[in-house]
Amino acid sequence: MRDNAKSGALTEVTFYILLSLYAPKHGYAVMQFIEEKTGGRLSLGAGTLYGALNSLLEKKWIEPCGGREGRKKEYRITERGKEIAEKELYRLRELAAVAAEIIGGAV
Amino acid sequence: MSKKCYRFFGGLLSAQENWLNKMAAMGYRLIRTEKLLYEFQKCSPGEVEYRIDFIAEKSAEKAKEYHDLLEELGYRVFFKNINLNYSVGKVHWRPWAEKGGRIASNATTFNRELLIVEKSRDGKPFELHTTYEDKAGYCANLRDPWFMLFVLFGVLGLVQRSALLLTLGAIALIPVFLYQIQILKFKQDAKTKEW
Repeated sequence: MRDNAKSGALTEVTFYILLSLYAPKHGYAVMQFIEEKTGGRLSLGAGTLYGALNSLLEKKWIEPCGGREGRKKEYRITERGKEIAEKELYRLRELAAVAAEIIGGAV
Repeated sequence: MSKKCYRFFGGLLSAQENWLNKMAAMGYRLIRTEKLLYEFQKCSPGEVEYRIDFIAEKSAEKAKEYHDLLEELGYRVFFKNINLNYSVGKVHWRPWAEKGGRIASNATTFNRELLIVEKSRDGKPFELHTTYEDKAGYCANLRDPWFMLFVLFGVLGLVQRSALLLTLGAIALIPVFLYQIQILKFKQDAKTKEW
């Protein structure tokens, strides 16, 4: 078992932003990534996206990266961010396994 | 042919938003704003829609960054003043802004407290703030300046023994309460759901 007692659960928005930034992206591409992967189920407001990007930058889970295409800012995930995302994956697997056990049905 | 309208909405952000959306529904899209002026151009009715975002708590740099992100997302964005103030070189202290207050001057977000955001209607919902936590935070940003007004008028009213100032202070409490109710509602929702 992994020791993930200390790390809390991520919000869905946080987790998706982290995932989107395994490859460097600017804001618009992050939004597109999330809409695409969730089939439009999760659609981020611009203000919410901006706030989330800023708090992830502050936590140093993501960082701005080199090339600025004009005024567009690009971001990518940091090593710390990857650790967090990995732990979240284990947490969700555990959660999904418990849920499947109780609710039943294959997903 | 452009159409010019003169309006002042002050702190009534939803009234301003509703009016812009009504204009858009009638086939007018915004092309320019000044202190009181809204200039429109003909477009097909309902082609665009508007949202207003209050950004006065942001630093000049963050406001610019946010503005650029909105443009990157394909929106058209206008800066707009919330108050009427024709002075030049004025400096404002905003104790309610992030991190223990911020000085606003003509070079920063002073007279650029609002963003008017225009999106072409594409059938998708248009919301700038989508998670409950972010909505609650945004409402707190809207509430805090009113609360400062309440404190300011309250203190001045007591010192000067002025019923007028105390009344103004009491009036400033109304939006504080209304925003507070919304914040509590969003926080309640946030207990079980993220968005």
